[in-house]
Amino acid sequence: MKKEDRQAKKQKVRIKPGRLARREAVTGLVFVSPWILGAAIFLVYTMGSSFWYALNNIRITPLGRLFSFVGVGNFTQILLVDTDFTPQLVSYITSTVLSVPIIVVFALIIAMLLNGNIKMKGFFRLIFFLPVIVVSGPVMGMLTEQGAATISTIDTQAIGSAIGSFLPTGIADAITDLFSSMITVLWYSGVQILIFLSALQKIDGAMYEAAQMDGGSGWECFWKITLPTIKPMILLNVVYTIVFISGNEQNSIITLIQDSMFSGTKEKGYGYASAMAWLYSLVVVLIVAVFAALLMARKDVYERQVRKAKRERKKEARLVKKIERRGIRNARKIEKARTKRKYSTYDGSGDY
Amino acid sequence: MAYKGHRINPKRFELSQLKIICIVLPLVIFMALPIIFIINHAFKPMEELFAFPPTFFVRNATLDNFTSLIKASRTAGIPMSRYVFNSLIVTVLTIFLSLLFTTCAAFALSKIRFRAKYVLMDINQMAIMFVGTAVLIPRYLVISFGGMIDTYVAHILPLVAMPVALFLVKQFVDQVPDSLMEAAYMDGANDFQVYIKIILPMIKPAIATAAIMVFQQVWTNMETSNYFVNDDSMKTLTFYMNTLANANNTVAGQGMAAAAALIMFIPNLVLFILLQNNVMNTMAHSGIK
Repeated sequence: MKKEDRQAKKQKVRIKPGRLARREAVTGLVFVSPWILGAAIFLVYTMGSSFWYALNNIRITPLGRLFSFVGVGNFTQILLVDTDFTPQLVSYITSTVLSVPIIVVFALIIAMLLNGNIKMKGFFRLIFFLPVIVVSGPVMGMLTEQGAATISTIDTQAIGSAIGSFLPTGIADAITDLFSSMITVLWYSGVQILIFLSALQKIDGAMYEAAQMDGGSGWECFWKITLPTIKPMILLNVVYTIVFISGNEQNSIITLIQDSMFSGTKEKGYGYASAMAWLYSLVVVLIVAVFAALLMARKDVYERQVRKAKRERKKEARLVKKIERRGIRNARKIEKARTKRKYSTYDGSGDY
Repeated sequence: MAYKGHRINPKRFELSQLKIICIVLPLVIFMALPIIFIINHAFKPMEELFAFPPTFFVRNATLDNFTSLIKASRTAGIPMSRYVFNSLIVTVLTIFLSLLFTTCAAFALSKIRFRAKYVLMDINQMAIMFVGTAVLIPRYLVISFGGMIDTYVAHILPLVAMPVALFLVKQFVDQVPDSLMEAAYMDGANDFQVYIKIILPMIKPAIATAAIMVFQQVWTNMETSNYFVNDDSMKTLTFYMNTLANANNTVAGQGMAAAAALIMFIPNLVLFILLQNNVMNTMAHSGIK
């Protein structure tokens, strides 16, 4: 592997990399190699072969697995014939897109609260993290059975009808669903809180001090210091949340895939399930890509600064006007007070 | 928000903390619900387990569920300690190996320049989003081809490469300032020393978080016991607990399942309590100005 790599480098790159760069490359590969090995066997190979399965109809018989190549037949069947997959996929997309921002913002708020000086901070942190353990286990099924994971129906319906009055049904339904599963949504936020907390701890306290010296309020400190510093962690949390929601056992699409995997019918089976899984992960990738594009959106620095400067100038002009108006008002007030109380302040005329 | 300049846990209660506590406390109660439920559920006698409408808190607490669980495990052919031992070995080895691999890989992918680095990251990103159940059969083929069926390796290997953990750790390694590493190189450290002495201490919170995540995944995992291991004496505690609760008749199984859930939950709690100070380890002494 290393030798081939080096040879390829020699052929492609015209300027021969120096000895130092080559040595660095080798150490890099040495450090990654155990991971590469594991990933090659258990991630790349398995994913590749599952893609091959997706193109086939597989029947497991006592003689072994029978492959018959069907090309995109599985995919077209899932999208055009299957009545379960598409609606579930759509509801999955809407619920994920809605709940991810909620989870991340909630986690950020909690992390910031816990980052302050509170007594029993450690205990609170523990409590906020623990639901994740429960949620990922079989206990969650028990909880939902008991109805502990949903807000009671009456409240949900009231909210739903209120929202439905001014929003199209598709979106209103999704929001109502979100409300009814709000508790589980919040229970999912344990790891995110941890990640945010460790990011918040890393922010240098001196920055806040400097900002406070210059008269920055807590709100300004949040937008100008906290948020930019933890931006990479926000992206990380968004990705993690999406992945967690998508791979969860509570997810209905996962159960759908599992069901069709072990169903003995002629047209379903392992190939069909693989095709489903590939479609599903494609959708997940798309969602992640959209969120990543939103979070990483960064315009040209120069353009951004020009725009910022313009905004700043406008703001300043408004402030100046405000101060002027206030000055006039104050002058009038002072004048009034002076005439009323019959005393005068020194007005520079020389006589009292 | 309530920033006061120092991140030291306050010794005394102050009035200024009251507003934060007011916000946090209801949320804490709300988040504690599932835990309270598990604990209560394990101690419920039979008639309360099936009560309708279901009750949240236990009224007449008993230890019946636990005694029946122990009784059921006594009648089984293989002692419970065997499963505990299996689970312990599998969990410890998996956590150790996966943390070693992920931190190494994260260090290289984030700080060392070499070819194919970005391709590797892309593969990892892709793998994060792939559905685990879909690769079940290829995985089985790999394991049976390697002759790993009915060994501990079958439990460990599929879980060692955890893409999410690598992603998390790499994000943290990215934030380690280059100047610290450069200073170490200046003083004559080699890559391995930099990894041990600089990277690892700096990303302690990430390691602790990843450890908790890996532990959760390994501890609750039944897939490997279900599909890759036929020999009963090589299966894990999670699998055993689950079969105990399911194999006996479902009515009595409910109570045992509740007790088993509590037993399986406690190691999580202990590990988190042990690791949580590391999660919060501050970078205040990072030495960069």
